[in-house]
Amino acid sequence: MIALDQVSKSYDGVSRIINNLSLEVLEGEILILLGSSGCGKSTILKMINRLIDPTEGRIYLDGKDIQQQDPIELRRSLGYVFQGIGLFPHLSIRENISMVPHLLGWPEDRINNRYRELLELVQLSPEIHADRFPDELSGGQQQRVAVARALAADPDYLLMDEPFGALDAITRDSLQQEFLDLKQRLNKTIIFVTHDIIEAVTLGDRIAILHEGRLEQIGTPEEILENPATDFVRELFAKSVKFWKGFKSIS
Amino acid sequence: MKTTSLTDYIIERLPEIWQRIGEHIFLTGISTLTAVFVGIPLGILAFYRPGLRGPLLGIVSILQTIPSLAMLVILLALFQKIGVIPAIVALILYALLPIVRNTLAALQGIAPEIIEAARGIGMTEWQKMRLIRIPLGIPVIMAGIRTASVAGVGIATLAAFIGAGGLGEFINRGLALSNTRLIFLGAIPAALLALLVDFVLGFIEKVCDPKRNRHWSHRFRFALKLSIVLIPLFLLIPVFISFSPWSSQTAGSSEKNETKGINVVRIASKNFTEQLILAEMMAQMIEKRTHLSVDRKFNLGGTIICHEALKRGEIDLYAEYTGTGLMAILKLPAMNNPDEVYHRVSEEYLNRFNLVWLEPFGFNNTYTLTVRKQDAVQNQWKIISDLIPMSSKLVAGFSGEFQERPDGYPGFQEIYGFKFGEVHDLDPGLIYQALAKGAVDVIDGYLTDGRIPAYNLISLKDDKKFFPPYYAAPVVREEVLSAYPDLREALAPLGSLIDNTTMRALNYEVNGNRRGISELVTEFLQDKEVL
Repeated sequence: MIALDQVSKSYDGVSRIINNLSLEVLEGEILILLGSSGCGKSTILKMINRLIDPTEGRIYLDGKDIQQQDPIELRRSLGYVFQGIGLFPHLSIRENISMVPHLLGWPEDRINNRYRELLELVQLSPEIHADRFPDELSGGQQQRVAVARALAADPDYLLMDEPFGALDAITRDSLQQEFLDLKQRLNKTIIFVTHDIIEAVTLGDRIAILHEGRLEQIGTPEEILENPATDFVRELFAKSVKFWKGFKSIS
Repeated sequence: MKTTSLTDYIIERLPEIWQRIGEHIFLTGISTLTAVFVGIPLGILAFYRPGLRGPLLGIVSILQTIPSLAMLVILLALFQKIGVIPAIVALILYALLPIVRNTLAALQGIAPEIIEAARGIGMTEWQKMRLIRIPLGIPVIMAGIRTASVAGVGIATLAAFIGAGGLGEFINRGLALSNTRLIFLGAIPAALLALLVDFVLGFIEKVCDPKRNRHWSHRFRFALKLSIVLIPLFLLIPVFISFSPWSSQTAGSSEKNETKGINVVRIASKNFTEQLILAEMMAQMIEKRTHLSVDRKFNLGGTIICHEALKRGEIDLYAEYTGTGLMAILKLPAMNNPDEVYHRVSEEYLNRFNLVWLEPFGFNNTYTLTVRKQDAVQNQWKIISDLIPMSSKLVAGFSGEFQERPDGYPGFQEIYGFKFGEVHDLDPGLIYQALAKGAVDVIDGYLTDGRIPAYNLISLKDDKKFFPPYYAAPVVREEVLSAYPDLREALAPLGSLIDNTTMRALNYEVNGNRRGISELVTEFLQDKEVL
């Protein structure tokens, strides 16, 4: 379980990009962090893997304060899918996926089995794709590789920062479906950042809505749709509700 | 020897061309390699320590702006040594800027999202450097190495100036003798070498680029990378072995005659025709009339370099002029009586430096102002004072030495009481040509210079007796003279052998008729029945 306890982050000592935020991520759920650009969603992910340290408050991973842990080990134990993918352009797909196991010092044959398994898991072919390079793959394929890389060392937690943000609508839709299947099979705890409401309600077990560094509401999509806690949440969902209801009735 | 065809000319010199190319590759190769091993870590250091970045880049940039000749002279003073070491150090210092700057730029230029991903998956600083920054930065770093190497090939031509050999030897000699063929003999191979280096490193750059080599097999990539490291080393080792003892033509190993116990006399010369002729004369006399052998360290870049090398025992003898000894070396006031100057200089040299002046050759090669014959006839110029009415319209071209020395232009202005309208600083090897071609109107010529008749120029009479006497004589280390007493005997016949007209004629044979010095000297000495 990941827990944030009254976490704040300020870069200039005056304005707070994250303001007194507390939330818990439950075992095995997908928690969506939803909010507009610049509301501090990515900052939360970065604080969880210590790319950024909070100004105030504590973050606990399985009950342990992450500030007390070695950042390098912490990062290797969390899967991270970066905004803008962040694959290493000079390394082949195989080398990209094998990087974390390699850093962890896994034996060669274990790494070799693992990358094949992962490529198959994200529906890519080890024979065709393993020795390609990131820029030789389509955007959707790169995104699958990024997910495979995040899963490489079999972490319990997966942090995903707008992973499908740069994809076209059709690709995004099919990847979202695949992602849900994958999630069923893997049973990971996932924190997923997006600004796309449809994506949030499609994928999220729970959604945390952020606005100007504050938590507006947290709950299942149904709870939020039915009982929006603030005006901001109500307005945010107003347009989507119609669509959502239509979507529900069809399905 | 204008009749020799170009092919014969080149074929004749082929062994030396190869030797000089070898030296040149050695100089550039060793210095660039060292600069790589120093520059890349400095670039990495600058990357991690932003506080050091400014000062470090400042220093390497300033090094780059020091004119190459000045750099060589500074290092010469610093190392107290002529030859290869200061030349290599100078080349290393020049190569640092592009390598340090490109390394820093390469490391800074990696896209921030890639670095964030590297951090985010848990790479340590060292892993980020080794696995991400350096592999991605290699093309930019390689471009810096390439820039440094190509520039190094060019700058290395100046190494000959301080006796470090290389293709600059031909250029230097060509400038000294105003022999264009010789200049090309050095310049063209140097240019080709630069192109070759550029091409080879360009290829290596491509091989190292992670975007281009990606689909080569791992083994092939590894073999290629290994060969990139090993091939230059293998290329350099034989070059190093064959040129590090520095063949007799090249200066460098000052310990030679002490350590090996071989009886060698090292004769030097400054870099102009007359000096080369005198040095060759002394060399042939010693070779013929003693059991000693001669190491020719000709063409050193000027009075100070020769004198310092002599004082430190890196050379054993060279021909110096009394006036130069008096004023440039001893910094004593000018005197007019030739015998007084000679005695004063001999005495001071012996006391201060343990150097002995032998009997003068006989001619007086003083400075004088020289103009085109045509202008002299037209304006009826005979003596220097005749220039006064037109002086403000005249453009002078003076050698750097003449402009600085008290017995040069500064003293001249005081005694004659006039200045020229414009003064250009020209290389001593080029001033006669500059005058003949009309680029300047007046130069500081030497009275015995063969180019005066060759270019149809004329020397003006020093009517105020400003220029002191410059009688040339061999200057020898006393130590060498007592170790090899027959040295004095061997050189004695040269005393008072050459008057002004003879010296000018000899110089003209070389500059005007393009005679080979060694053959001309043999002929002259046999003719005088001293050999």
